[in-house]
Amino acid sequence: MLAKSSSFSALHEENAELRARLDEANEMLGAIRGGEVDALVVQSADGPKIYALQGQDAENNRFRGEMLAQVSDAVIAADSEERVIYLNLAAERLYGFDASEALGRPLSEIYQSRWPQPEDRAVAKTILYKCGEWRGECIHILRDGREMNVEAGATVLRDTTGLSAGTLSVVRDVTERKRHEDEVLVSEVRYRRLFETARDGILILDPVTGKIIDANPVVTQMLGCPDTRLVGKTLFEVGLLNDEGVGHDMVAELKRANQIRFETLPFESPSGRRHDVEFVANLYSENDRPVIQCNIRDITERRRSEEHVKLLMAEVNHRAKNMLAVVQAVAYQTAKFGDPATLADRLSGRIGALAAGQDLLVKSQWQGVEVADLITAQLAHFKDLMGARVLADGPPALLTAEAAQGIGMALHELATNAAKYGALSNSEGRVRIVWQIIDDPKPTFSISWLEEGGPRAEASGRRGFGQIVMGRMAEAAVQGVARITYGAGGLAWTLTAPLDDALASAKVGP
Amino acid sequence: MSPRANERQARILIVEDEPMLAFVLEEVLIEEGFEIAGVAGRLETALAMIESEPFDVAILDANLAGVSAGPAASALTVRGTPFIVVSGYLPEQQQSAFSGAPRLQKPCQPDALIAALRGILPSR
Repeated sequence: MLAKSSSFSALHEENAELRARLDEANEMLGAIRGGEVDALVVQSADGPKIYALQGQDAENNRFRGEMLAQVSDAVIAADSEERVIYLNLAAERLYGFDASEALGRPLSEIYQSRWPQPEDRAVAKTILYKCGEWRGECIHILRDGREMNVEAGATVLRDTTGLSAGTLSVVRDVTERKRHEDEVLVSEVRYRRLFETARDGILILDPVTGKIIDANPVVTQMLGCPDTRLVGKTLFEVGLLNDEGVGHDMVAELKRANQIRFETLPFESPSGRRHDVEFVANLYSENDRPVIQCNIRDITERRRSEEHVKLLMAEVNHRAKNMLAVVQAVAYQTAKFGDPATLADRLSGRIGALAAGQDLLVKSQWQGVEVADLITAQLAHFKDLMGARVLADGPPALLTAEAAQGIGMALHELATNAAKYGALSNSEGRVRIVWQIIDDPKPTFSISWLEEGGPRAEASGRRGFGQIVMGRMAEAAVQGVARITYGAGGLAWTLTAPLDDALASAKVGP
Repeated sequence: MSPRANERQARILIVEDEPMLAFVLEEVLIEEGFEIAGVAGRLETALAMIESEPFDVAILDANLAGVSAGPAASALTVRGTPFIVVSGYLPEQQQSAFSGAPRLQKPCQPDALIAALRGILPSR
């Protein structure tokens, strides 16, 4: 209409008319705002349309606006171009925008969305436009960069013709709840893992019924049945308490003392094996609901090992006392024979020989002593001569503890004697120590000490303790026979014994 | 201490697995005028001797090469022959088969052993 005008006066006229219309419109707006207008009648191609501004409809509109302002969830509406057309008070607070500031802005300036999975955004949009609404969770990033977990519902707004005119979203901040849920989940996972991997058996009982609510794998293994069969049963029913009354007393006692403990509770596993368990029950509350937690530790092995230690201690005591008795006997005998001036030397030599034998036995955990090792240990004083003037030769042979002591003491006496009077008393004499295992006619072990190149040996008139050790002591140790002969080049000693009495291979243990 | 007349013929069985100790025991007992009925170093030997040898008293080592001498103690009790237990074990570590018999701890003094022996010697 303006385009048709060509003259200045016409333009002026039109301008005045527009001004008048604007004034009219302002006046009307003022009247509407002031509540002076009841209804508007709009002329359209289809005829006049009446919009009521007062009365029931207006009251409804006002009420709706009020309601939206009051709800604690953020309500935000956007047009089809995703520009903000409405936000309530909660939305203003949540996103940090005043309505005046927010209206007309693109929604993306109010917040940015982040989705658990990148494709979730498209999925949500599809659902929204296909179904008309979408509900779910995502993250809104605020303009200050803060991230907020939200639970949101969106609906499509439609105009009177049913075409999409935008969206209405109701958003709730669930950041706190989410964090709490995560914590609970982490805590649950953590404690479930502890429960599942604990080396103690753990049972959770309902204190009211005394029945099992939960059982960890250790318990199911201990009791030999799956937790599905344990749950719903009492301790007595699963064989943990051998007296039904104890179960009831336990609950009563727990209510009084909060904890009870049985140091040793015997029970029989389904396979019939007896177990000793340590049983501790605690009463505590889980979300105001009382539960009993029972910790059950299988101490069968510990008890057995304690018994074993006790046995070992007794054995150590016995052996130590025995050895002291032997030392005492050796001391008496050493003092009885020989020169008092050399008593200390002879005694300490013999105690040393006993100690060397002990060392070897301990090293082999009392299983026995190899002959070659015994010779090396007992002839430690002569190690420079070993392989030269003292030759040892024989097959591998593990002597029993008794044989090792008897033969060891004899070797000590033989070596001491040889160094004083025999083949090791000069510079050219030699000793051969040979041992063998003979199968025929009977399995036999024999060991010989053969001197050559030494001074002529002669039997002394009086039998000293050394001779007794080489003779009947060695014999008694192996149930064998010892023979001593005196020759031109020195002494020859041979001990022959039944194989089983001398060697440990046929025997087990000390 | 000189042996009394009724001890001259008293025969003693020594049950001891340690040759050195058995030997010294023998020496001491002979010096004191006792007679040695035999020396057993193993349980089987001891049981055989308890069954067949005539003797008046036994000296019993509680442990014979790792085997308890309990059965020997029981056999002696059945036979009605008094015995002395010599052991390195503490009394509470001891088996009940030995209870009632005089006990000496290893290592023991020869005098104490002789005194204990005289204490249980049946009077004849």
